[in-house]
Amino acid sequence: MKRSKKAVLILMVPAVNILLSGCGEKSEQALVYSDPSECAASGLSTPEQCAADFAAAQKLHPQVAPKYLNKSECEVDFGPGNCETAPQEPTSSSSVFMPMMMGYLAGNVMSRLNMGSQRLQQPAGAFAGSPEENEGHSKVQTQPLYKSRDDRSTFRTATNAPVAKGIGPISIKPSQVKPQVGQLVRRNIFGQQAATRSSFGG
Amino acid sequence: MQRISIAERPHWRTLAEEVGFNFHAFDGEPYWDETAYYQFTLKQIEDDLEAPTEALHQMVMDMVGDITRSEEMLTLLNIPRDFWSYIWNSWNNGDPHLYGRMDLVYDGTSPAKLLELNYDTPTSLFETGFFQWRWLEDQIHSGALPASADQFNSLHDKIKQAFIQLDLTQPFYFSSVRDNAEDKGTVSYLMDIAAQAGHQVRYIAMEDIGEVDGQFVDEANEPIRGLFKLYPWEFMVQEDFAKIITTSKTQIIEPGWKILLSNKGILPLLWQRYPDHPNLLPAFFETASTQPLTAGWVRKPLFSREGANVELIRSNGDIIAAQGPYNDGRYVRQALHELPKFRDQQRNQDFYCMLGSWIVGDTAAGICIREDATLITKDTARFLPHIILDTIVA
Repeated sequence: MKRSKKAVLILMVPAVNILLSGCGEKSEQALVYSDPSECAASGLSTPEQCAADFAAAQKLHPQVAPKYLNKSECEVDFGPGNCETAPQEPTSSSSVFMPMMMGYLAGNVMSRLNMGSQRLQQPAGAFAGSPEENEGHSKVQTQPLYKSRDDRSTFRTATNAPVAKGIGPISIKPSQVKPQVGQLVRRNIFGQQAATRSSFGG
Repeated sequence: MQRISIAERPHWRTLAEEVGFNFHAFDGEPYWDETAYYQFTLKQIEDDLEAPTEALHQMVMDMVGDITRSEEMLTLLNIPRDFWSYIWNSWNNGDPHLYGRMDLVYDGTSPAKLLELNYDTPTSLFETGFFQWRWLEDQIHSGALPASADQFNSLHDKIKQAFIQLDLTQPFYFSSVRDNAEDKGTVSYLMDIAAQAGHQVRYIAMEDIGEVDGQFVDEANEPIRGLFKLYPWEFMVQEDFAKIITTSKTQIIEPGWKILLSNKGILPLLWQRYPDHPNLLPAFFETASTQPLTAGWVRKPLFSREGANVELIRSNGDIIAAQGPYNDGRYVRQALHELPKFRDQQRNQDFYCMLGSWIVGDTAAGICIREDATLITKDTARFLPHIILDTIVA
């Protein structure tokens, strides 16, 4: 026989998303808010804790946010008006840009709740995790969140990992939101040639 | 070799949509065409197509090392000097290749002639490996074709086998230009087979590839260590950020040395080394002193796809030319060997038939057939299935 014994497709019918996040890793509880007042209004944390989380995220923001050599490249990813100048070493001559912080992720929620005193008006079941989750220590680090230009409804980490569509408590794997030092990114490295040609395969 | 009309499968358009073959029509005109098929004998397939394909492939591969060491040939092929070392290294490190397609003229009797190599970014892979295969299975199942009918098409099996054997970093990325349905279809098919072979696969649009510290990165700035790119090498080396290719620790498939074989300049180089080979056509590089195109010759840009900017003069003086965006480089000349003409009984019109012959690794893996109304096969050509059957169907 000169033809394939079996030609089957597994991904093309139907479209399947391949999940790549670590199997076996446990999800942790965390909170997502645009700002501390929104957080305080939710009643899940004290206003003081909200302010402290927000400040921690703000502090991390210039470190983890992706950096761009010009504002327009940054705005291609994050939308017009959503980028700011990044603080940088005095020796540097040219400006570097980064997206503005659009919200924050408060981690380490379980241990805090277990302290008891700061636990205010927790809705029934909101953090009803398994026993080891309740005694466990969330490894989700408090950090800034961003929104990309083409998807304004989703909060994303500095590494572009989608975190939540709205505000409030979420469940997430720590490895998915591990902060990293924001790097200088160049995109559209490829594609300029294609723009002037009609076809690429052949 | 015959062209035989047959009824379409009633459900084929639904099937096509279901499996993501949404480029089966092009600008409202059919691209996949199963109103007819081509029929070959097993002898035609094995002696006239399979064996010459592997022989030509071997001849071509034998030349790569020599080209990487020859300043003269690299210059003739318009390879940027900054990439000579990269290409030399990619060949001498044995960077693995996956697949390629050569385009042949074949009429069923005389030796097949090599028109050109498509060894860097060949498409029509899904149509060949899956959809054409499925067409034959369906037609045998419905009784429209005899169970003894076969097809020269082991593409799916061979690509899967190649992916099983390839040592790829995980995850392995697949990339094409955003918003090109045909290229995306080819890449999706390769990702599907790679996943079946046990690889972790991810798609990234070429435009979304980023750079951090000289390393290609994905949307999350994770390093891209392995990349299949359906994007021509000759474009990549011309981009503003081309030098990142030489600093990034990324395994790229097809590898850098394939730039030498997606270039029409390989045709005169082959002819110089193997003059009068039965499967080659006379070819030479155009220079400032080359005479204007004469009857019986074809003029092709070094880099061109889908017939773009090709011009030819038939023996009767008729000039046939295709427009395109590749008019900014150098040209080669190749002796004209006209594509065979077949009668489409349903459309009551003649069409020219070109054969694509696939190579996976170093093995011939099947054929695909495209038909065009003119002697230049363009991106508007239709794809027709084929069978192997030794009894003559009236």
